[in-house]
Amino acid sequence: MKLELKNITKSFGEKRVLNGVSFTAYSGKAFGLLGRNGAGKTTSIRILMNVFPSDGGEIFIDGSPIDYSRIKIGYLPEERGLYPKKKIIDQLIYFAKLNGLKTNDAVKAVDFWLDRLNMTEHRNKRLDTLSKGNQQKIQLITALAHNPDIIILDEPFSGLDPVNAMLLKDIVKEQIALGKILLFSSHQMSYIEEFCDSIAILSEGKAVLTGELNDIKRNYIRDKLVIRSSKLDEISKEFSCNSLTDNDELIIHLASPEEKQAVMKKLTEKYDIDEIKVFEPSLNDIFVEYAGGKENETV
Amino acid sequence: MKQFKTILNFEFKNYFKNKSFVGITLFMALLIAVVMFFPRISEQFKDTQTTALEDKAVMLILDNAFGGGETIKQTFETSFPDYNVLLTKKNISEIKSEIKSEEAECAFIITSPTSYTYLVNNLSMYDSNTAIADGLLTQIYRMNKIIEAGIPYETAADLLSADITHETENLGKDQTQNFFYTYIMIFALYMVILLYGQMVATNVATEKSSRAMELLITSAKPVSMMFGKVIASCLAGLIQLVAVFGSAYVFYNLNKSHWKDNMIISSIFDMPLSLLIYMLIFFVLGFFIYAFLYGAIGSTASKLEDINTSVMPLTMLFIVAFMVVMFSMAGGRVDNIAMLVCSYIPFTSPMAMFTRIAMSTVPIYEIIISIAILIASVIGVGIISAKIYRVGVLLYGTTPKLSSILKAIKKA
Repeated sequence: MKLELKNITKSFGEKRVLNGVSFTAYSGKAFGLLGRNGAGKTTSIRILMNVFPSDGGEIFIDGSPIDYSRIKIGYLPEERGLYPKKKIIDQLIYFAKLNGLKTNDAVKAVDFWLDRLNMTEHRNKRLDTLSKGNQQKIQLITALAHNPDIIILDEPFSGLDPVNAMLLKDIVKEQIALGKILLFSSHQMSYIEEFCDSIAILSEGKAVLTGELNDIKRNYIRDKLVIRSSKLDEISKEFSCNSLTDNDELIIHLASPEEKQAVMKKLTEKYDIDEIKVFEPSLNDIFVEYAGGKENETV
Repeated sequence: MKQFKTILNFEFKNYFKNKSFVGITLFMALLIAVVMFFPRISEQFKDTQTTALEDKAVMLILDNAFGGGETIKQTFETSFPDYNVLLTKKNISEIKSEIKSEEAECAFIITSPTSYTYLVNNLSMYDSNTAIADGLLTQIYRMNKIIEAGIPYETAADLLSADITHETENLGKDQTQNFFYTYIMIFALYMVILLYGQMVATNVATEKSSRAMELLITSAKPVSMMFGKVIASCLAGLIQLVAVFGSAYVFYNLNKSHWKDNMIISSIFDMPLSLLIYMLIFFVLGFFIYAFLYGAIGSTASKLEDINTSVMPLTMLFIVAFMVVMFSMAGGRVDNIAMLVCSYIPFTSPMAMFTRIAMSTVPIYEIIISIAILIASVIGVGIISAKIYRVGVLLYGTTPKLSSILKAIKKA
């Protein structure tokens, strides 16, 4: 299955929030939706979930316009919250039924997920008696119980302890293996790098970068070298454009990518070099570069 | 439709899982049962206790006009059966101190056949002793004057106690009879709409502030959410009313024979069935029109604290409608201009038209017009409220201005 957003635009009053967002996500793969606060992620998700219509653009599933009576979507919002004063089992069944399950199926599915998340003992408790992390696990059930085709997880790992984070990772991998389309939104780039094959970076209501994460990294301009050596001081004097990393590595910025062979050769001949390699950007570096916006350019 | 049923079911059950809701309903039913059994219980005690003469409050008479004889004492005794009437010869200051020390409750100092001073420690709002004494002394005065004029005693007595009989043939409604049940029903309507309306608003605002709304809006259509909530609260309100009035009806019938002397209570249960049906129609329609708006207002608040101020204009409107009806009822003129106008305005007609139907004679076409306007308005307000709701639930931060909400609705 293929999910395509094509040129989605949306304004609230005078404010243009989405400025033509396009991206494509495939089933059996996780898709990372990145962007700074206010970049338009939540609005894109809400349009995808049919909370309100877009002003322009279209959403396709396998090439034909999305039919919400057939496609089921599960959503874990970034702003968590259910009914604090109500019994957990009651509200989980309520949400499963709202998402189209019959009562019996809803009970079965909810019990399955309570068990899967080791939460069965809390079944009949009030939600506000649980810790924050456990409340989050309960909320995750609302996103998964109705066996959705598209799963949208917004900052799913925030507030989880390492054990629970591990459990969630396993569940996410299972869901991907089941052939679901998984949209993943997070500011924790390490998780995105771990799960997502492709990403879209939103900035000011536009997808400024989309594609396979590997391709993006490979196409990143290869004009920096990372050097580990005991003679960093001398090397850095020779190159005007350089910086030190946290691991005491020197990064030198070349005038053009073509120079790198020659520079590497020259350095290894001249100095005692422990290691020298072409700089591979992390997702974090890419994100800061594309989503950083104006404030970052001046730095 | 399936979603709507799920929401209706969930919201409706919530009312009955709420301990205070169930508690209050049961308490009210119990209270009514106690009230209804009261005359029966008090009758049990009445047989054993005959008020002894010395238990009655003391009324002193200082007679300086009629010669201080027993006649005046007897006349007062007949007119004040609840008092132990005693003749006194003490002076005024002694009488005053007796009243102050509560040995006597009150005293009449009769200075001439046509004037007296009434002494009492605390004058009650309902004290009618002077009025009775006025009548008594007038009677004596006239009697004496007529006899002085040479007319025989029997003729004089006959003259003064002329007994007029009359009959009233009421062609419309009897306000003395229907006043009380109309009053009770209007009050019930007022209480239920106000309480449940606020509950709907708080309910929506709670979902918003707990962020359950984030998930709700992506799982259900706003229209289903709004209608599910409002109809569930309407049903809960109806059930509460039925529980309270139903228990009143049952317990009244159990004790019917003990209530036959009480005109007010027996008139309440003498209500015609047609009125009950009108009550139901106006209750449901009135409830909807207000609950929709309360729900819409609730959706625009982002914090629970904001609710009280946001719903104020709506609550004020409702209170004004209630006041117009109450004052017109108290004045006995339920067909005045204000009421005529109010019985066609959708926000006031549930109370105004109902009162007119109950207490006066309203042509059927007027009732139909009023109900038709009300139904059309309920539909209109429902649609507008659902639109406000749709926009409102997604707005966080400061409560939006009315103009920006209107703009957003226009777009929605």
